[in-house]
Amino acid sequence: MEILAGLLNGFAVALEPANLFWCFVGVLLGTVVGILPGLGPPATIAMLLPLTFNMNPAGAIIMLAGIYYGAKYGGSTTSILMNVPGESASVVTCLDGYQMARKGRAGPALGIAAIASFVAGTVGVLGLMLVAPPIAKFALSFSSPEYFALMSLGLALVVLLAGRSIVKALLAALVGLWIASVGTDLFSSTSRFTFGQMELLSGIDFVVVAIGVFALAEVMVNMEAREETQLLPVPKGLRNLLPTLQDLKDCRFAFVNGSVIGFLVGALPGGGSTIASFLSYGLEKAVSPRREQFGTGVIEGVAAPEGANNSETGGALVPLLTLGIPGSGTTAILLAALVLWGFKPGPLFIPEHPALFWGLVASMYIGNVMLLILNLPLVPLFAQVLRMPVYLLYPLILGVSMVGVYSVSGSLFDLLLLMVFGLLGYLMRKLDYPSAPLILGLALGAGMERALRQSLMMSEGKLSILVSRPISAVMLSLAVLVLLIPMFGKLNAWRLRALEQG
Amino acid sequence: MTSRMSLIALAASLCAPLSFAQGFKPARTVDLVVHTGPGGGSDVLARAIAIMVEKEKLLPVRLQVINRPGGNGAVAAAHLAEKRGDPNTLGLFTGVWLQTPLVSAEAKVTLRDLTPIARLVLEPAVIAVKADAPYKTLADFIEAAKKNPGQLKQSGGSNTSRDNVVRQLLQKSTGTRWAYISFPGGGERIAALLGGHVNIMVIEPEEAGEHIRAGNMRVLAQVSEKRLAKFPQVPTLKEAGFDVPVVPQVRGVVAPPGIPKENVEFWQDFFLRLSRTPSWRKYIEDNQFEDGYQNAADLAKFYDEFTDRMREILKDAGVKTVR
Repeated sequence: MEILAGLLNGFAVALEPANLFWCFVGVLLGTVVGILPGLGPPATIAMLLPLTFNMNPAGAIIMLAGIYYGAKYGGSTTSILMNVPGESASVVTCLDGYQMARKGRAGPALGIAAIASFVAGTVGVLGLMLVAPPIAKFALSFSSPEYFALMSLGLALVVLLAGRSIVKALLAALVGLWIASVGTDLFSSTSRFTFGQMELLSGIDFVVVAIGVFALAEVMVNMEAREETQLLPVPKGLRNLLPTLQDLKDCRFAFVNGSVIGFLVGALPGGGSTIASFLSYGLEKAVSPRREQFGTGVIEGVAAPEGANNSETGGALVPLLTLGIPGSGTTAILLAALVLWGFKPGPLFIPEHPALFWGLVASMYIGNVMLLILNLPLVPLFAQVLRMPVYLLYPLILGVSMVGVYSVSGSLFDLLLLMVFGLLGYLMRKLDYPSAPLILGLALGAGMERALRQSLMMSEGKLSILVSRPISAVMLSLAVLVLLIPMFGKLNAWRLRALEQG
Repeated sequence: MTSRMSLIALAASLCAPLSFAQGFKPARTVDLVVHTGPGGGSDVLARAIAIMVEKEKLLPVRLQVINRPGGNGAVAAAHLAEKRGDPNTLGLFTGVWLQTPLVSAEAKVTLRDLTPIARLVLEPAVIAVKADAPYKTLADFIEAAKKNPGQLKQSGGSNTSRDNVVRQLLQKSTGTRWAYISFPGGGERIAALLGGHVNIMVIEPEEAGEHIRAGNMRVLAQVSEKRLAKFPQVPTLKEAGFDVPVVPQVRGVVAPPGIPKENVEFWQDFFLRLSRTPSWRKYIEDNQFEDGYQNAADLAKFYDEFTDRMREILKDAGVKTVR
């Protein structure tokens, strides 16, 4: 009853014409920022912050949040069309999204990304509205051992991302873990693998590696094929550009999976949308009846991670608004914004500023609808990009990749790194090493190492801390199970062969 | 092509002293370089300064924030060093710019290689525990640490951060020992304390405020020379009986090397004027910072002393220093 009253008040705030306008401005800016690789929501919000000073705080927070979740919608566009992940959260979308585009299904891929974003984004807001306090409590019970177990579970998914050879996948994952260790060690301030380069002191940016091994390598492999390259097929007619009923049916579980995983992982202060999207992709693949087709352009392989990275937004606002604890770069700047406007984000924020909180929640429902209406008509438009002849398309992909990388740090060194990782990706393609495990290892490596060392510092070096805590024990067991699944398959095949021969 | 360029350069060098002779004034947009990405602590302060400069009409030109993240401050410091002689570039430094060259050989530019302008802010800290912890005073905690050596835990940043420095000083002066667990983000440090995974932390007063008001956190002592306005009941370290040096978190402004004396004077006066504006006072008060203004000459002395002290403390903590 209390929630209903709050929500009604919230809609009263969010439906004020001015706030409705700011909501639209926010989601529109978010979509644009999401489509452009590189420039992400934190940078955009930081740059707009001075402009919000003279605004009504409700309108301002509604707009800034709109940029935050709006960017998640746009992030999939370049992943699907060009294999260029716009942000770290849409790296996984490349795996099946780009393959769909190559098969002439760019439209349905973009469409399902928008629909999954809408469904999961809305579920995320529902979660924020209904279960924020208990989820925040649950998130606090998570500490280093639990994070280590969560990341181990994520890394175990490597066996699911493997192509024909598990050994090659594991090797690629190890290289990813190694890249993650480059930089200054947090615990001892020692430099690792920096080769005297000060630019490497703070490590290698995840997006640089992802764009290199995905987009650049793709362009190189395609350019090498000297024969007259065919244009990518793009079917005509709006109906062929949107997901079919069968597509939606295929994604039923992906919608639920993405929504729940995204929200829960998002609520953890050490979580984040990258991990959320990887986990939901892994789960989707693990339970799918057509597991072996993942990576070749399966629609639920787009829906699950895209859903997860949207519902993550609702989750990430839970610790921010209920505890005043920011879990990511974007929520940290939202926190700074609230402080600049004279609020004190913390445990008392919601009870003391109910209109602001409920106005924000209501605006997020409205904003998600706006985003769906905004993004679906863009699908046919963007799908036309692929009609471009290759001599325009590939330079465009290269340009987009380089601008994306340069706009993150403004450093030429990162462009050099981009080339190095493009070359690495090309060699891996030639030698038939899968690149997804490398990206997974890189995404999880730093956090996983940190969590393990923190755990051991907490327990004075006793490994038992990892299995004596229930949440961590359950997740580690799941990780072992995931690692063993393919072995059962192999055992079974071997047994069947033995039977036949016997 | 090259000869024309050198001609232009020659002409520029001939003109430059003339324009400086009449007193320096920035002629184009001034770049304020920070070492974090958008939303980091220095970035937020820099953008606040840019807003104040506009609001109080302190400069004839605009001040824009330039983010040069990476290398734990080393990239931004190197960027300034490359801008040798550039009168329109400034850098907003923090303690990280001092510490990184101390421990990383890759970071070649120390604050000593740049031109000091002014110290602006000192950020005090408080020592906090969870509200239901058994420790009512810092002495209680130290007593407990004595009884269980290495068992109690503190959450904080990297091992060169102020959090760890405070711990090192306290451990050394009391002969105790507790574990220090590094977390990269401030949110995770607080979550570790509130979740009961660690026992104590050093936290910025503004961050602690709301958790105290909600009854989740208790402050045992403050890391400052005198009591903060918003914590009148909480003793300073010295008052609590721990005579250890107060290590401030410092923020200030430096310029590229090789800029004329007029420029230095212009900028140190500019920041003095900024620090006297009502907007600046309000910002300092809202964030519970201390006004730490010092002019260029005092700042140079300050960071020599600070560097020497940091080197000693880091050595005591077993951190390898390279300079």
